[in-house]
Amino acid sequence: MKDIARQSLSIKVECMDLLNNQIKKEAHASATYLAMASWCDQNGFFTGAKFFYKQAEEEREHMMKIFQFVIDAGGNALSPEINGISHEYSSIVDIFENALDHEISVTKSIHNIVMKAREVGDLATEKFLDWFVLEQVEEENTIRDILDMIELTGIEGVGLQIIDGKINDWID
Amino acid sequence: MEAVFSSKYYTFFQSDKERCFYIDLGQKVVRLSFCQLLALRQKVSNIRIEDHFDAELNTHGFEILALCNKEHLFILNTLEILDLKELLVGAFAMFEVSLSPVV
Repeated sequence: MKDIARQSLSIKVECMDLLNNQIKKEAHASATYLAMASWCDQNGFFTGAKFFYKQAEEEREHMMKIFQFVIDAGGNALSPEINGISHEYSSIVDIFENALDHEISVTKSIHNIVMKAREVGDLATEKFLDWFVLEQVEEENTIRDILDMIELTGIEGVGLQIIDGKINDWID
Repeated sequence: MEAVFSSKYYTFFQSDKERCFYIDLGQKVVRLSFCQLLALRQKVSNIRIEDHFDAELNTHGFEILALCNKEHLFILNTLEILDLKELLVGAFAMFEVSLSPVV
């Protein structure tokens, strides 16, 4: 008997399932950053808003990269449903702390897929995710650096205004 | 056409000649391409069987399953859904795409 399934799909189905979950996570991250951009815009952090609009776009690009990989591998890529996006934040510090938590959760999820790919011998998925592993280091570092900058600047007096201006340093 | 896996109610077949799969669902035999099979697997694995035991989440304990781009429509009860889940897990286990390497 021929293995028609293997002839049709280049990755393991378990990895395909996890990649579809990751598509959902990236879409959720993109929508979350959009909510953060909205909060920044409404609260006068216009550079912060610009930063999060860009982050939202980047997360969508990540999502599409995974989506395309699943399709190219012969899999069933699923368009994600997004819900549970919070628009409530208490301060600019709260926003960036949430953003860091979000990035850490995405990193953990990527690492989990890499480990699964290794376990089931799915080298294609493992290699594909190499870029994402390094990208997440960069993403976490960016948010950490901004949180450090906020701490150094302080939020008293014109601090918030300076913070918003300095965020521009992390916009390419 | 060769039988790949059988559960209590259903049988999964593969046709090398037609490069497709067949599932004998009792009421009728459904032909599926690999893409359609993946879509069915996704639909069935997304069914939360726990909901069948919650009168608010699933009042009647049935699932309406549309297969192959709505070409077929099935109404399955809890036991049939459980059996279909078992069939698909069993069938996929026979393929290399879900096998772990021998260490």
